[in-house]
Amino acid sequence: MRRLGGEVWFGLILLTLCSAVAVLAPVLAPYDPHAFSGQPLERPSRAHPLGTNDVGQDILSELLYGARVSLIVALAAGSGTVLLGLLVGGMAGYAGGWLDQALMRLVDGMMSLPRLPLLILFATFLGSGLPQTIAIISLLFWPATARVVRAQVQSVRQRGYVRMARQFGAGHPYVFLRHILPAIGPLVAYGLVTSAGHAVAMEAGLAFLGLGDPLVKSWGLMMRFALNLPGLFLTDRWLWWLLPPALSVTLLILALTFIGIGMERNLNPRLARRWR
Amino acid sequence: MMLMVQDLRVTFPLDGRMGLRAVDGVSFELAPGASLGIVGETGAGKTTIARALLGLHPPECVQGSIRLDGRELVGLSEEEWRAIRWRRIALVPQSVGTALDPVYRVGDQIAEPMRYHLGLSPMEAWGRALEIARRVGLEPRHLRAYPHQLSGGEKQRALLAMALSCAPDVLVLDEPTSGQDMLARARLLDLLDALRRERGMGLLVISHDLAAVARLAERVAVLYAGQLVEVGPVQRVLGEPRHPYTWGLLHAYPDMSTARDLRGIRGAPPDPANPPPGCRFHPRCTQAIERCRHEEPLLREVGGRWIACHLGGLQTLLRAEGLRKAFSVDGGEPEERVEAVREATLDIREGEVVALVGETGSGKTTLGQMLVGLLPPDGGRVVLEDRELTAARGKERRAMMSRIQLIPQDPFDAVSPRLTVAEIVREPLDIQAIGTPEEREAKVCQALRTVGLPTSPDFLARRAHELSGGQLQRVVIARALVLEPKLIVADEPVSMLDPSEQARVINLLKEIQTERGLALLLISHDLALVRKIADRILVMHRGQIVEEGPGNRIVTQPEHEHTRMLLEAAPRLG
Amino acid sequence: MGTGHRTLVYLLTFWVILTLNFLLPRLLPGDPLAALLDPSSSDYVYDPEVRAALAAYYGLDRPLPEQYGRYLLGILTGDLGRSIRLNRPVAELVAGHLPWTLLLVGTALLLSSGLALLAGTESAWRRGSWADRGLVTAGILLANVPVYFVGMMLLLLFGARLRWLPLAGGRTPFAQYPSALAAALDIGHHLILPALTLTLAMVGAKFLLVRNATVNMLGEDFMLVARAKGLPEGRLKWGHALRNALLPFVAHLAAHTGMAVTGAVFIEALFSYPGMGRLIFESVTARDYPVIQGAFLVVSAVVLTANFLADIINLHLDPRLRERGVER
Repeated sequence: MRRLGGEVWFGLILLTLCSAVAVLAPVLAPYDPHAFSGQPLERPSRAHPLGTNDVGQDILSELLYGARVSLIVALAAGSGTVLLGLLVGGMAGYAGGWLDQALMRLVDGMMSLPRLPLLILFATFLGSGLPQTIAIISLLFWPATARVVRAQVQSVRQRGYVRMARQFGAGHPYVFLRHILPAIGPLVAYGLVTSAGHAVAMEAGLAFLGLGDPLVKSWGLMMRFALNLPGLFLTDRWLWWLLPPALSVTLLILALTFIGIGMERNLNPRLARRWR
Repeated sequence: MMLMVQDLRVTFPLDGRMGLRAVDGVSFELAPGASLGIVGETGAGKTTIARALLGLHPPECVQGSIRLDGRELVGLSEEEWRAIRWRRIALVPQSVGTALDPVYRVGDQIAEPMRYHLGLSPMEAWGRALEIARRVGLEPRHLRAYPHQLSGGEKQRALLAMALSCAPDVLVLDEPTSGQDMLARARLLDLLDALRRERGMGLLVISHDLAAVARLAERVAVLYAGQLVEVGPVQRVLGEPRHPYTWGLLHAYPDMSTARDLRGIRGAPPDPANPPPGCRFHPRCTQAIERCRHEEPLLREVGGRWIACHLGGLQTLLRAEGLRKAFSVDGGEPEERVEAVREATLDIREGEVVALVGETGSGKTTLGQMLVGLLPPDGGRVVLEDRELTAARGKERRAMMSRIQLIPQDPFDAVSPRLTVAEIVREPLDIQAIGTPEEREAKVCQALRTVGLPTSPDFLARRAHELSGGQLQRVVIARALVLEPKLIVADEPVSMLDPSEQARVINLLKEIQTERGLALLLISHDLALVRKIADRILVMHRGQIVEEGPGNRIVTQPEHEHTRMLLEAAPRLG
Repeated sequence: MGTGHRTLVYLLTFWVILTLNFLLPRLLPGDPLAALLDPSSSDYVYDPEVRAALAAYYGLDRPLPEQYGRYLLGILTGDLGRSIRLNRPVAELVAGHLPWTLLLVGTALLLSSGLALLAGTESAWRRGSWADRGLVTAGILLANVPVYFVGMMLLLLFGARLRWLPLAGGRTPFAQYPSALAAALDIGHHLILPALTLTLAMVGAKFLLVRNATVNMLGEDFMLVARAKGLPEGRLKWGHALRNALLPFVAHLAAHTGMAVTGAVFIEALFSYPGMGRLIFESVTARDYPVIQGAFLVVSAVVLTANFLADIINLHLDPRLRERGVER
C-alpha cells in the first residue's frame, strides 16, 4: 500500500464530496434552480439559505446543481483531451517515421497558437452550448498530452520485450494492448486528472466571460451574473452570491491538483540524493 | 609533515539515523612533494575520502582528524573551509563530462578561483589561466570555448589547469584516468608526474586503476569497505601483495601481461550500511579464522609495510623444504638409484593456483605424492599450516592429511571397480568416521552436485565401468572434496580425457577452487593448459625445480633453457 | 534551429492564425456574417452606416479567394472592419485598448519573474527547511487557484473594505491632469490591484519552476566543483545555480506568455480595466464580431511576439544551443 500524502487524501475526500453533491443535487436542493422561487436579491434566510440572485432564483440550488456541470465538464473534457492525446501521441510514438513527424508538426503548431484567444474565437462562432464548450476545451488541451504520451510510447516500444513479442509473431494491436497500454496507463490516469483540473478552470472562465452555455447553471455563470451587479462589493451580497461558486471552483480544482500531485510522486522514481 | 589524516570516519544518514559508514577509520600521511595512491573498488569509500579532504561533507558526518601543516580541518565552519579549499587543497574531480558549468567559458572557470582566492583582476586572472593552460597542453582557443565544445581529454586537462590555478599544496585526483583511451591516459600520467616534481605538490591519487597508481604514486594504500587493509611502497605492494584482498584485487586486474583468465574474488563487497562484524573481508577470505569473525584487525607494521590482518597477511599453506627421493632401479645394482626428486623447495599460499610443469620423468608426480604424504621423502620436510606433516603420526597425521587431497591421473585406477559411486565418494568419511550415516549421505550428494553430477539413486548405484572417463574423474574430485580440504593436488587430472572433457574438468577445478577458497597444485606437462589458470608456475627438470615465477612472466619471458624448450614444444594451432 | 528558421516558423504560425480567423465565420452553418446584413435575422445591424461599412469590409458577394485577398490587404493597411456596437474602426479601438493591457501584463511579468527568481533561488538553497516547505505549499496553492478568485479577494479587501485602492478603471474618470507625473501616479494607483492580482496568479508556477530547477542544479557535479573551489556563497547561488536555472525558466516564460494574456483577460473583466480583455468581454457580450476577430488577431500577434523574443533570449543564454563550429 503506497504511502499517500496528506494532500492526496484531502483531494480525494473533496472530490468524493463534490461527486456526492452532484449526484444528490435533486435531493439536496430545496428548489429547482431555474424556478423563480423568491424575490430578487433576497438575503439569506430559512427559506433561502444563500439568498436569491437578481432574478429571484435560489442560490443554494444553483450552487448544488452547478457541481454537476463542473464534474461533467471535468470528466468529459478531461477524457476528451486524454483520448485525443492518446490517439495522436500513441500513433506517433508507435509508428515513428513520417507519420510521427507529420503528427508532431501538427502538435507543435497547435501548441504555438495562443490558447485563450482561440478559445474565444471558437466559442464565439461555434456557439455556446455545453457540448461545444467541452469540445473546444479538449481541442485546445490535447497537444500537451499527446507530447507526453508519444515520449512514453517511444520509450516502451523499443524495449526488449516488445521487440520479442513482435519476434513471436504478434500483431500491432496485440502489442499495443498488451504491452504499451499498461505501461502508459499510470501516465494516462495522471493526464486525466490534470486535464480535468484545467478543464474546470477553463469552463468556469468561459462562462464568466459570457462564452459558456447561458442555459446551464454553472458556477462560472453564477459568478458572471454576480459581478454584473453594480456595487456588489459595497454590500454583503458578494458573500453569499459570489463567494460560494468561486470557492467551489477553487476547491474542486485544488482537489484534482492534489490528487495529481500524489500520482506524480508515484510516477517519478526518486532520484538519488546527491551530497552537497 | 604536510597532510596528516588520522582515524577519519565519514558516516551518512540512512533512514533517519547515521547508518552508512562510508569511511571507517582511515589514517595516512602525505609529505610535501610526495605521492600516495589510494586504491579500492567502487563503493569502497575513495571519493568520500577525496571530498572529506575538501570539507564537502556536512560537518556532522565527519569525525576524526585531518591536519594540514598542523592545523585541524575537521570541524571548521563553511567560511573557514572556503579559505582552504582550492588554495591549499585542490581536487580534480572524476566526472569530467559534468564538472564544468555549461554556461561559462572554460577560461573563465579556470580563472574564477584566482579572482576570489588571489584577488587578481579579470585580466590578470585570464593571463595566468592561459599560462597554466599552456602547461597542461591547452591552447587559447580552448579557453575561449564552452565546455560542450571540448573533447573529454581536453576537458580533463581543463579541470587539471583549474585545480592548479591557485598553486595548491595538495592535489587530490579522483579517478584521473577513467574513461580515457590508453594514449591519452599515458600522456596525462606523464604530465601529472612532471607537475608534481616541478611544483613540489603533494599528490593524492584515488583510483581503481592499479597501473595508473603504479605509475604515479610512491606509496599505495589499499581501501576495502571503508578501511585500509594494506599500505606500503607501491612496487612492493603491487608486485608482492601480502593482504588477501590486495592479492585478490591484483589477480582480478586485466593487465597486458596476463594470459590467464580473469578471476574474481568470491563473495560480494559488503553493504556499507551493514558491514560484517570483525574483519570486513572475512566472509571472502580463504584463510579466515575464528578470531577474524569477531575482532577487527588494526593496521600493523609487518616487514616494511602496514597490514590489517590478524594473521599478518597471506599465509603460506604448504611449505616443502629440501625434499629428496631416490628409487632403486628394478633389477639393477643397489647403488644404482635414480634420483627422482632433488632438493625440491616450494611453497603454496592460501587460495593460490600453482602449476608444476615438466616432461615425463621430471619427478613431478613423485614430488606431488610426497607433498600429500603418500610417499615418505628420503630427506627434507613438508610443513602444512605450520605443522610438520612428515613428522606427524597417528590421529594428528590423519587429521592433517584430510586437509590436503590428491587427484591422480588415471581415474579408473584411482577407484575400486567394485564399489558404487556413492560408496566411492563416501569412503574418506567412512574411514575417518565423520558424522552419522545420514550426514555422510548428505555430504556425498553435496559433493556430487558441486562437480555437476546427478544424485539420483540410479546414478549412485553405478559402478566405475559404467561411467565415462570424464564422469569418473568428477567422481574422484567429489571424493577429494568431502573432507573439505584446503589444498588439492591434481596430478595430470585431465590428460587421459577427451579435449572437450579436459576443458570442462579444468574449468570445474578452477570454479571449485575459487568458490571454496582452496589452493590448487596442478601438476601437468601441458603448459598451454596450465597457463590459463595458474598464478605461479614451477618448472621441473630432472628432479629439480629449475625456474619459478608468476604465470604471466614465465610464459612471456622464460629464463631457463628448459622452460623455453617446453614453451616451444607446447601445442599451437596454426 | 537558428534564428532564421525560428522566424519562419513564427511567421507561418501567424499566417495560420490569420487564415483561421478568416475561414471560421465563413465556413460555419448559420452564416453569422451574412446574418448581420439580413433583415430577417436577429443579428441584423440596424444602423445603415455601420451596415454599409461591414458589407464593404466583408465583401460577402465576392468569390472566396477575393475576399481572402482583400482581408489580407486590409490587415496590412490596418483596416480591421468597423465595430457594430460603437460604430468606430476596430483598429482604432484596439489601438486605444492595447497599451493598457501591455502595461498590465508587462508589469505583472516583471514583478512575478523578479519575485520568483529571488524567492525560488533562496528557497532552493534552503530546501527542506520550514521556510522552503511553506513557500512551496504557497506556490502550489497560488498556481492552482483561479486568477479571478484571487482578484476577487483582493478587490474585496483593498477595494471594498479598506478603500485603499480603486474598484475599477484604468484611471479616475474624467480627470484632468496638471502634469505628466500626476497622470502617471493616477494610472499607477489604478494599476496596483490588477497588476498585483496578475502577479500573484503567475508567481506561483514561476516560483515552483525556479525552485525545482535550482534544486536540480544544486545536485549537479559542477555545483560541487564550484563549492570545492571555495567560492563565496553569493557566487555559488547567483552566478552558478541561478544562471543555469534561468534556462528552463526562460523556456517556461516563452511557453506561458499565453497564460499571462489569458489571466489579463479575466482580470480586466473583473476590474473593469480598459484593456483588450475588457474590449473582448464587452464585444463578446454584444456579439460584435469584427471587434472580436480584430482583438483575437492582435492578441495572438502579441503572444507570438513574446514567445519569439523569449526564444531568442534563451538562445543567447545557453551556449549549447548556438550553431556549432564556433571554436574548435
